[in-house]
Amino acid sequence: MYSKEVERILLKVQKPGRYVGGELNSVIKDKKDIDVRFAFCFPDVYEVGMSHLGMKILYSQFNTVPYIWCERVFAPWIDMEELMIERNIPLYGLESGDPITDFDFIGFTLQYELSYTNVLNMLKLAKIPIKSKDRPELKNIVVAGGPCACNPEPLAEFIDIFFIGEGEEVDLEVIELYRKFRAENKSKKEFLIAASQIQGVYVPALYNVEYNNDGTIKSFTPEEGAPAKITKRLMMNLDEVFYPDNFVVPTIEIIHDRAVEEIFRGCIRGCRFCQAGFLYRPVREKSVATIDKQCRELCKNTGYDEVSLSSLSSSDYSRVVELLTQLNKWSNEEKVSISLPSLRVDGFTDDIMSKIKTVRKSGLTFAPEAGSQRLRNVINKNVFEDELLQTCDTAFGGGWSKVKLYFMIGLPTETLDDVAEIAALGQKVVDTYYRNPNKQKGRAVSVTVSASSFVPKPFTPFQWEPQDTIPQLHEKQQHLKKSITTKKITYNYHEADTSFLEAVFARGDRKLCKVMEIACQNGFHFDGWDDCFSLDAWMKLFEQCGIDTAFYANRRRSFDELLPWDHIDYGVTKEFLISECKKAYEAATTPNCRQKCSNCGVGKWKGGICVEKRQSMV
Amino acid sequence: MRNVRVWFKKEGTAKYISHLDLNRNMLRIIHMAKLPIWYTEGFNPHPFITFALPLSLGFSGLRESMDFKLLDDEMDLNEVKDRLNKCLPGGITVYDVTEQVMKPARITYALFNLKLSCDTVNTDELYEKVRELFAMDEIMMDKKSKAGIKEVDLKENICKFDIKNCESYVNIDVILPAGSMTNVNPKLIVDALKKFFDIEADFEIVRVDIYNENVESFV
Repeated sequence: MYSKEVERILLKVQKPGRYVGGELNSVIKDKKDIDVRFAFCFPDVYEVGMSHLGMKILYSQFNTVPYIWCERVFAPWIDMEELMIERNIPLYGLESGDPITDFDFIGFTLQYELSYTNVLNMLKLAKIPIKSKDRPELKNIVVAGGPCACNPEPLAEFIDIFFIGEGEEVDLEVIELYRKFRAENKSKKEFLIAASQIQGVYVPALYNVEYNNDGTIKSFTPEEGAPAKITKRLMMNLDEVFYPDNFVVPTIEIIHDRAVEEIFRGCIRGCRFCQAGFLYRPVREKSVATIDKQCRELCKNTGYDEVSLSSLSSSDYSRVVELLTQLNKWSNEEKVSISLPSLRVDGFTDDIMSKIKTVRKSGLTFAPEAGSQRLRNVINKNVFEDELLQTCDTAFGGGWSKVKLYFMIGLPTETLDDVAEIAALGQKVVDTYYRNPNKQKGRAVSVTVSASSFVPKPFTPFQWEPQDTIPQLHEKQQHLKKSITTKKITYNYHEADTSFLEAVFARGDRKLCKVMEIACQNGFHFDGWDDCFSLDAWMKLFEQCGIDTAFYANRRRSFDELLPWDHIDYGVTKEFLISECKKAYEAATTPNCRQKCSNCGVGKWKGGICVEKRQSMV
Repeated sequence: MRNVRVWFKKEGTAKYISHLDLNRNMLRIIHMAKLPIWYTEGFNPHPFITFALPLSLGFSGLRESMDFKLLDDEMDLNEVKDRLNKCLPGGITVYDVTEQVMKPARITYALFNLKLSCDTVNTDELYEKVRELFAMDEIMMDKKSKAGIKEVDLKENICKFDIKNCESYVNIDVILPAGSMTNVNPKLIVDALKKFFDIEADFEIVRVDIYNENVESFV
C-alpha cells in the first residue's frame, strides 16, 4: 500500500492507477514471515512492464516460496518522477509501498538497450548508489537478467550479478545462497565470489579487462576463481517448469491485456539477424495437454476472454492444428478467443485461420523482413514471395482486408534495389487483394509497410557487421518512400537515431559505463520514448567522455577480434556463427532445426529438438 | 430474464480506476464470475452493462451501482454478490444486489463528503476560509465540459451544506446537482479556495449517496 505522501500527489499525475497496486492476484504477505524481499524492477512504465511475460513467471514463482516476497516496481513516468523528486519520495514497491532500500534484491529485466538509463535512474530514485562498488554491504544486491544480459558489459560497473539464460532455477539458487551467507554474517564480496560458482551467474566485478591501443579488447581475466566462461542456464522440460496459474490483472489498460501462454522456447529458424533465435536455443515445446490445462487455469483465474499463444514463432509449434482443435473444444463455449502472434508467412493455413479469433477480425501481421529474395536468403528468412502472396490471398478470402508487413532496412549487403523491392512486394499484396474473388465486397485493402533499421546484435552471425550510418539509413528510408506509388500502402519507419544508440549499447564494452554514469547524473531516462530521447544530447555526452560511437556501431569487426561478450556462452559456437556469416555473403540459406541439424553447438545439452526425431526420419 | 442492480463501494486503490477502465474491468469480472447475463448481439458480443452515474477519478463512492440483465430468473441474488466479490480487485466490494427500482435518469443530486487539510494554513484558519467561501454571494468558477469552458456560480448550485472543524481537517458535507442534466463537481470547492484565498488544500472526496429529484436515495 502506497504511503500518505504518495496519495497526495496521485491526482496531480496522469494515470495514477500505475502507482497504486491493489490489483486482482497481486501478492500481499506478512512481513514477519518473510526472510528475503525481492524488488522486481521493470525499467519502463507500468503498461509496458505489466505486459511482460518473464516478469509474470518469476513474480509468481518467487512468491510461491513462503519466505520470499517479490514485489513489482516500474519506472514512474516523467510527471510522477518530477513530483517524487520534489517531495523527496523514494521509489517504492507496488505491493507494500516500502522504499526499495528495504529490499534484499533489486532485480532488473533487460529487454531492450534503450531502457539502460532507466535502470540507473530507478536506482537513483530509490536513493541507492548506482555503482556496485559504492554498495559494500550485503543488502540491496542489484541483479539483472533478460536478453540484453547477453552483453552485460555496458552495465558492468552497476550490476552486482547478471543472470545468463533462463532464470527459473538460478535466481532461487542465488537467493538461497544469500540467505545462508547473511545468516553467517559473511560479506558481500564473499557472497559474490561464492555466487560466481553457480552456473548462469556472472559477477562482472570479478573480471579484469585490458585493452589494445586501438580500443579493442586485449584480454579478459577472471579473478577469485570465477569461471573463464559463463554458461547460460536453461530449462529442458517445459512440461515440468514452473508456470503461473494466475496473473496480476491490471485495472488500467496495458499494452497486452490478455492471458499469455508460452507454448515453446527457442526457434527452429535461425534468421541471421535475430538474437532471440540464437540465445534461446534449442527449441523446447510444451505438450498440448500442458498448454490446454494452463490456458484454462489462466482464464479461470484472471477472467480474460483472450489467450495469446506466445513464442518466437507460434505457427512453428509442431502440433499447432492439434493444439488449436483441443483449445477450441472449450474456448468457444467459454467465449474465449485464441490468438496466435508471431505468425510466419508460411504458417498461415486455412485450418489455422478457421480456429483463431473467430469473433474479431483485426489486422494480420507478417514479417518478410526483406524485399528481395536475394536479401531474404542473406538473412536466412526462408520465406518466398509466392508463399507470402498465397498467404495474403488466403487471408483476403477469409475476410481480412488489413495486412501489416514488417521489414528491416540496413541489412548486410543491402542495395537501393533491394530497398525498392520492399515497395514492389507491397504492391503485389495490393494486387493480390483485387484479384481475389472472395474478398470483402466494397472494402478497400490496407497494407501497412513498416521498416525498422537493422541493429547488429551479439550472438548472431551479424555480430561483426557495421550498422549503416544514420545518413545511409535516411537515404534508404527516402528511397523506399519514393518507391511506393499507391495510396493503399501506408509507410511507417522508425527513427534511425534510436536504432543507432541501440547499436552502440548492444555491442558496447565497459568503457561505456562512464557514459552511462554521467547520463544518469544528467537525468537521462526513457530513451525509448520520443518525449525524452535526444540524440544530440547523447552525442555531446559521448564526445565529453572521449567515446567514438562509430567504433561500436559502424565498424566492421574481424572474426578474430576478442568481442566484449566472448566470455559468455549461450551454447552456439563462434565457429558456427562465422560459417553462417560467410554463408550470408553468398546468399546461401541454412535449413531449419526441424529439417536438418546444422551443428550450431547447443546439441551438447542433449535436449529439446536436438534429440527429437526429425520429420525426414519418421 | 430480469433486470438487476449491483451496489458496490469503490474506495482505496480502486479510486484510481477511471470510469472507462471500470467498465472494462467489470466486463472481465462478469466473464470471470460466469454470471448468466445478457450479451449484446452485434459483431462483437459483450455483456451489456450500464452504470447509473460515473464517478470522477480519485473519488471514493459508497453507493455506486451497475445494471445488467440476468438470464437466470431463479438465481439467488446473494450468489450474484458472492461470485462478483471473489473476482473484484482491491477496493471494490459489492454489498447488495437488488431489483432496479428507479431509472438512472431520475438521478438529480449527490451527497459528497470532503475532508480538507493544508500544509501552509492551520485547520482553524482553513475552517474560517471555507465558511467565508460558502458565505459569499456568488462563487463564479470556470467549469470544463465537452463544449468548452463555461462559467458557473457554484454558490447557487449548493443545495445543502454542513462545515465542521475536526482539528486535523475540515469536514464538508454538501449536496450538489448530479445526473445527466446538470452536474457540479465538488472539486470546484477546492479550486475555489485556491482562486479566492490562494489556499492549496489536500482533499479527500467521497460520494456518499445519490438522490432523485425529491432528494430521496436512488434505489
